[in-house]
Amino acid sequence: MTSLLKKEAQPKNRPEEEHEPAKEAVFRTEGLNLWYGKKQALFSVDLEQKEKEVTAVIGPSGCGKSTYIKALNRMVEMNPEVKITGRISYRGEDIHSRRFPVEELRTRVGMVFQKPNPFPKSVFENVAYGPKIHGIRDKKLLEEIVEESLRGAAIWDEVKDRLQENAFGLSGGQQQRLCIARCLAVEPDVILMDEPTSALDPKSTLKVEDLVRELKDKYSIMIVTHNMQQAARISDRTAFFLNGEVVECDNTDKIFSTPADKRTEDYITGRFG
Amino acid sequence: MTRNTFVSELDTLKQEVKELGKKVENTFRAVVKAMDTDNRAELEDLIDADEEVNKAELAINEQAVLVIARQQPVAGDLRHIIVCLKISSDLERMGDLSVDMAKAYLHMASPGMFHRKREELLSIADKVRLMIGRVMKAYDTLDVLQAQDIAGMDDDIDRAYGVLVKELLQSRESTEDAAQLAFISRFMERIGDYCTNIAEWIIYEVNGSRFDLN
Repeated sequence: MTSLLKKEAQPKNRPEEEHEPAKEAVFRTEGLNLWYGKKQALFSVDLEQKEKEVTAVIGPSGCGKSTYIKALNRMVEMNPEVKITGRISYRGEDIHSRRFPVEELRTRVGMVFQKPNPFPKSVFENVAYGPKIHGIRDKKLLEEIVEESLRGAAIWDEVKDRLQENAFGLSGGQQQRLCIARCLAVEPDVILMDEPTSALDPKSTLKVEDLVRELKDKYSIMIVTHNMQQAARISDRTAFFLNGEVVECDNTDKIFSTPADKRTEDYITGRFG
Repeated sequence: MTRNTFVSELDTLKQEVKELGKKVENTFRAVVKAMDTDNRAELEDLIDADEEVNKAELAINEQAVLVIARQQPVAGDLRHIIVCLKISSDLERMGDLSVDMAKAYLHMASPGMFHRKREELLSIADKVRLMIGRVMKAYDTLDVLQAQDIAGMDDDIDRAYGVLVKELLQSRESTEDAAQLAFISRFMERIGDYCTNIAEWIIYEVNGSRFDLN
């Protein structure tokens, strides 16, 4: 997508680590602990999201995976009981720093939820909403953004003649891709997906999976999924969470062929969870 | 523990591979005995019976494909199934080689030369039979150390085979029968190689990495 919104100043490059031709970490979490009131949900989580990669976050219910990705865009903090220690940095910058407004973070880090949640507006308005908030008024430019975003979300051909219709008239799978288009319209850097296909039928699921693979060329994506085959199909790296800890994070091929930790093996082979 | 059906399907598959192993071991033993007793009718029967081994291997293949399709196994479970497929294929080849031994014997004009080399031939046959039994036991218990030892046994067989073939080539007796005996010992040596393959698959199932034991 061409740059239609103001770009942030480019992040400073971190010094190259030794043995690295490796990709830059877009997100880096170090020693992240998180409590809901007195109950600790995350325990010293160290994890990285690399540039233009898909990271799948897997683990049984209640293991902290959704909490984790919602910590990355600070959504989890909407709950006043939440307390966090440790550090989350986005492109080297502490996301909790005063110099990093949360609105800016959320512009750079889009999110797609489990249930498609379009606004009760037209297809066009759903996608144009974000850019409008960012001050874009030019009708032609908005049309351009909407088309590019819908194309980017692989739904343009299905809705191009229905742009003025209410988004609730779309199928579940289409609504979810519309939400992805809405997310793309503000040109994020990272897309967080919280079980984006769990409410979709198998065919729509495969479409969203194909889309994730395409989006990876331009965006860094972290996806929480209960569907292990999905993690195996679409991700480059997989992080396995258990009881609020990261048991193992490695290349997806490694995790699904020869995981290092017995608990990972037991989970992915369906022995528990 | 969840996925009980799946776990029992994996067990059944392995059970079938172990039974195929027994069949192949029995065939090998029977072929050697029939050669030793010059029981040509028995050798013919054993050649015909190979069909059962082929069928058993096919059944394992079909079962494995179904389990993969239905259960979408990963990691250790996937290796378990892949190794069932690989070992059953190696066993089937071992069955074919036993049949080849029987056929080679039937091509011999007389049992005379077999008996003159009986000690050497039976010594190789004993080693091979022991190797089949041991490798299948190592597979049963997924014993990596035992599997690694198998390679040493194969070296013994290779050496004994080398000596015997040299003698046969220098023999002044019937060239045709000497050639058939050389084939028979070659087929036994190949069965040893397949046992080593199986040992490598055992290590793969346990560790997830291929290890060349040859």
